[in-house]
Amino acid sequence: MSGLFKARNQVALVGFAHSKATRKPGRPLGVTALETARAAIADAGLTPHQIDGFVSSPLLPTTGDHAVEDGISTVTSNWLARHLGLDPAYVVGFQGIGQITGSLTLAVNAIASGAADYVLFHRALHLPPGKYNDNSLTEASGAMQWMAPMGFFGAMPAIALAYNEYCQRYGATREAMATLVCEARKNGSRIPWSAWYQKPLTVEQYMAEEMIIEPMCRLDADMPVEGVACFVLTSAERAKDLPHQPVYVSGYASGYPTKNRAMLHWTLDDMMHAGEGLSTRLWESSGFTASEIDLPQLYDGFSPFVYIWLETLGFCKRGEAHEMILSGGIDSDLPGTLPVMSGGGAIGNGRMHGVPQMLECYLQLSGRAGERQRGNVTTGLACHSTPHFGGAVVYSNDPS
Amino acid sequence: MTGLAARPVPVPDALSAPFWQAAARHVLTLAQCAKCHEVTLPPDLTCPHCHTIEPDFAFVPVDGTGRVRTWTVIRRSFLAGFENPFVLVDVELDGHPDMRLVARLLDGADAPLNIGTRVVVEFEDIAPGVAVPAFRLEQEA
Ligand SMILES: [Zn+2]
Repeated sequence: MSGLFKARNQVALVGFAHSKATRKPGRPLGVTALETARAAIADAGLTPHQIDGFVSSPLLPTTGDHAVEDGISTVTSNWLARHLGLDPAYVVGFQGIGQITGSLTLAVNAIASGAADYVLFHRALHLPPGKYNDNSLTEASGAMQWMAPMGFFGAMPAIALAYNEYCQRYGATREAMATLVCEARKNGSRIPWSAWYQKPLTVEQYMAEEMIIEPMCRLDADMPVEGVACFVLTSAERAKDLPHQPVYVSGYASGYPTKNRAMLHWTLDDMMHAGEGLSTRLWESSGFTASEIDLPQLYDGFSPFVYIWLETLGFCKRGEAHEMILSGGIDSDLPGTLPVMSGGGAIGNGRMHGVPQMLECYLQLSGRAGERQRGNVTTGLACHSTPHFGGAVVYSNDPS
Repeated sequence: MTGLAARPVPVPDALSAPFWQAAARHVLTLAQCAKCHEVTLPPDLTCPHCHTIEPDFAFVPVDGTGRVRTWTVIRRSFLAGFENPFVLVDVELDGHPDMRLVARLLDGADAPLNIGTRVVVEFEDIAPGVAVPAFRLEQEA
């Protein structure tokens, strides 16, 4: 596809619910998902029997030794629909990375095409007992044989390699990253369902944290949590009859690897190169340019991703994201900045994948952010994962 | 070898067996496509350059020299069998632009590194008949 998205502003987010993001869930994930789904449907002014589409992305994002069980460690759309007592016409799951943006495109296309009228979109993240990442692998087969025997294991070393290349090339300092992480935690500390509610972080605390995978410390990765978020989508036409200001999907784009490399060998150049293509497609699809986006919400599951998104989407020049951040350019409390972490992100909420970015766009553009409500916000952007293994969605509250 | 838990060993398959056989002899090879003669690693079902479904890869030896594109010091490994800290380097191999290999640098966690630092492959024997590539700083001539 090229050019303007044919369903531009024809599909809208019309309601939501979010469970607590917590380290101690105390009950099965499926129960939380059911409760959250019912709350989101009610929030949209609907009843469960009106929901005829279910869309999600069920991947369990750990690298440790964990089994997958529907309703316990993951919640698929099929599981959710069946346990709500429904028999919907359209049920799909997104497979792959960039789960939130990827699965959202399935929901949007379903409504635009008429495959479903009202879609329940959800993401349920499980926190498995025991070590989240530790792995006792003794034999490496398949894709893993090209990494683990050489000591290359897990996503964090992959990101640290790309981030160090950025630091070496552009002179980025740890102070700049401290500013970013503290901005995420500041905003997350104001969100009641955040795992970091009322727990902001100081630059001194960040700088005192030991590096575990240089130049990254523990605080550069989002904290694994258990939690569920649900959104309800319908057509712009149907949204007129519902209680809340609709937030329209203006366009979207995704990007995937084109180079043959070891599985997690995500290089800085590959991410930036893919980002150029994604960025071009996103602005063509949405009919907007970077300078017209009031509220970009950039994905920060690993903090260096924010630099990559800022630069690749054109919110600053190549190599300058760290300087922009260090000089207060993303501070949500200062006028005239680009508050890319105003929703707290994954670092400020816990590992809810791209949910915090999407939710902040919804809350601010629908005027439902409460005490955190920002003025003059009509366009937003939410992304997930990286430009070479994820996507971005543009939102607007003006359907014209 | 140390008293740690065993390091994970590669399990060769139909595509990768020649690579690991050469590695066991301490020879670094790249997979060369029979159709277009370009090289790649890891070997895939198709050639990533000409996209033939019959790449019939030959594993051609390379001298294993290159320059460091980036690196990280692992102070806390998520994988059993490694003594912390250690260094991972991302090396672009000489004569093969964008052909990059991530492996350990065997010169210790304090080895002086910059973008472009010269390194050469060296193999680690991790089990009887099993060796995996790593790198060492190239000695000044
Ligand atoms: Zn070929």
